[in-house]
Amino acid sequence: MLWYKAWLETRWRFVFVIGSMMLVWLTPLWLPGAAPPERLWLGLQLGWVLLYIFAAVFLAGAGINTQTMYAATPGFHGSMLFTLSLPVSRRRLLFVRAGLGAIETCVFVAIMAGFALFQGPGATSALQALLYGTRAIVCTLPVYALSVLLACVLDEMWQFMGAGLCWSAVFLLQSRSVVVSRISPLRGMSLVSYPVTAPMPWAPIVASVVFAGVFLYASVLVLQRREY
Amino acid sequence: MNDIVIATHGLSKSYSGKPALRSLDLATPRGSICGFLGRNGAGKTTTLKLLLGMLRPSAGEIRLFGERVNSEASSVAARSRLAFVSEDKELYPFMTVGQTIRFTRAFFPTWRRDLEEKYLDLFRLPREKAVPKLSKGMRTQLMLLLAMARGAELLLMDEPTSGLDPAMTEEILQALADLAVSDGTTVFFASHQLAEVEQICDRVCLIDEGQTVIDGVLDDLKSQYRRILLVFDGEPPRELAGFPGIDHVRRRGRTASLLAHVDVDAVVDRARGLGPRSVEVLPVTLRELFLDHVRGE
Amino acid sequence: MDLRINFSSGVPIYLQLMEQIKHAVDTGAIREGEQLPTIRKIAEDLAMNPNTAARAYRELEREGVIEVRHGSGAYVAEPKTSSGKAAAIRRAGEVLRHAIGKGAALGLSESELRRVFENELSRLSDDATAAGRRT
Repeated sequence: MLWYKAWLETRWRFVFVIGSMMLVWLTPLWLPGAAPPERLWLGLQLGWVLLYIFAAVFLAGAGINTQTMYAATPGFHGSMLFTLSLPVSRRRLLFVRAGLGAIETCVFVAIMAGFALFQGPGATSALQALLYGTRAIVCTLPVYALSVLLACVLDEMWQFMGAGLCWSAVFLLQSRSVVVSRISPLRGMSLVSYPVTAPMPWAPIVASVVFAGVFLYASVLVLQRREY
Repeated sequence: MNDIVIATHGLSKSYSGKPALRSLDLATPRGSICGFLGRNGAGKTTTLKLLLGMLRPSAGEIRLFGERVNSEASSVAARSRLAFVSEDKELYPFMTVGQTIRFTRAFFPTWRRDLEEKYLDLFRLPREKAVPKLSKGMRTQLMLLLAMARGAELLLMDEPTSGLDPAMTEEILQALADLAVSDGTTVFFASHQLAEVEQICDRVCLIDEGQTVIDGVLDDLKSQYRRILLVFDGEPPRELAGFPGIDHVRRRGRTASLLAHVDVDAVVDRARGLGPRSVEVLPVTLRELFLDHVRGE
Repeated sequence: MDLRINFSSGVPIYLQLMEQIKHAVDTGAIREGEQLPTIRKIAEDLAMNPNTAARAYRELEREGVIEVRHGSGAYVAEPKTSSGKAAAIRRAGEVLRHAIGKGAALGLSESELRRVFENELSRLSDDATAAGRRT
């Protein structure tokens, strides 16, 4: 039932995220011409990356630590107390809640990645699409995991801001520092930095897996020690 | 099977150096309804949260159902046998009554469907109603339903009747009485409403500044405690303060009021020896017990 | 039986309940051999603690006012004259103790109190004679 609860908590967010995806998909309809020119494509690609990040941050938010959000809704302030009074370990709570959000994020990224390829200039094979999709998902995972960690300590608004600050910093640093640019998940998920024709960028992929793991492990530790 | 359902020994909790509980001792026997009293900030909610594993103690021991609770695993095990109703009666706003029941049911294999139906009817709770649309009283009733249908052996509550109108309060108290009669469930609740505590509790535990002041059977306390009112011709003598066996002394003008519970007759005789104009021995209400023990002088 | 408990009083609730049941027996509201409400019913009707109600019943049984038959409930006991008297004497003692306390608080001496008591006692027999004359 924890999965059911997590679904009830996040379903509207998921719908919102998919809905925003639809808008982006419909972009060519309000642009003159059949396929967007190179410059527009670059701009769109940046937007795609932003959307991946947004989805990851947004879907990681609800439920783990919601105390102040929806405080105006009667009966909601601190339903964490109800959850914690149930015979469930905190690790399991995190696993299910983070797990469902991760699945939703992956679904979103996969579909978006698919659209990106079929909208972009040049032909793309199924294999290239699959590889890009996988790479985009893996590189989005650390973004998701960081937001899970932040959501364990901060309330919703601060979690968004914290995540925003962090990934803006990475974005800035990746153009200044060689190390950061080599392992940055933001570059790893982008078709501008690594087009489909380029070989798989293993550095950001491995770095993403490692960071995602570290953030999730830290989340478990934080949640287990936290006092309510 | 253990007779003492809640036992704490030397339980202490500090928040960054400031103590909330200092060596709290509690023993609540099975089948009793115990009122947990204290001023705001005395440590009542902290104690409840410690029992539930939401907080970790700084020192001391907690035993629920006779088993030591000192790890997440033991806390989870204890929570499978108890239920908690928080002060604000928080539930999930994205669920309906029915969804909340289905959700909670999944955690308790010994869920009683018959009790679920019975209380849904009795409390007139519609399954399709969304939780945010429920009044505080109805949320309280829903949480009681969840507690009873799961067959909880222990029910912990934080201010169960606060914010409820008198009719709803009476319904809740009747539900608690029913719970105690039918299943021998132990109830332990923190409350400010002395009237309700006096009505439904057979035991009270009073804490002040993080320590236990009283923990006993309410009727026995009323039998043992006496207020001794002495009126003197002038100022009441100083020796009164040093009387052995007295819990509290208050002086007002020519009147001295003593609170005693051990060997009251001896205290009365001794007091008579000071030559008062009048000596009255009166029973003590819970309110007086509370105020005398937490205000002090 | 109409039970009214003052939960906020300093008098223990089980004692109040015992008092009320004894009073009901005395006034004939409930008679010998009649069944008393179950503890469950009392607890639910008054929204009071069942352990406290049970304690009252246990004490009443000990005093011989009621008898508990396993499986069927509590019933008002046949008054065995000696125990009935003993109980009555005990109760009168309680009432008088309270009255004496009040009198002492008013500042009366032992001999003054005794005079008041004799006075009241003689008034009792006067009333009885007057009542007898009226009927």
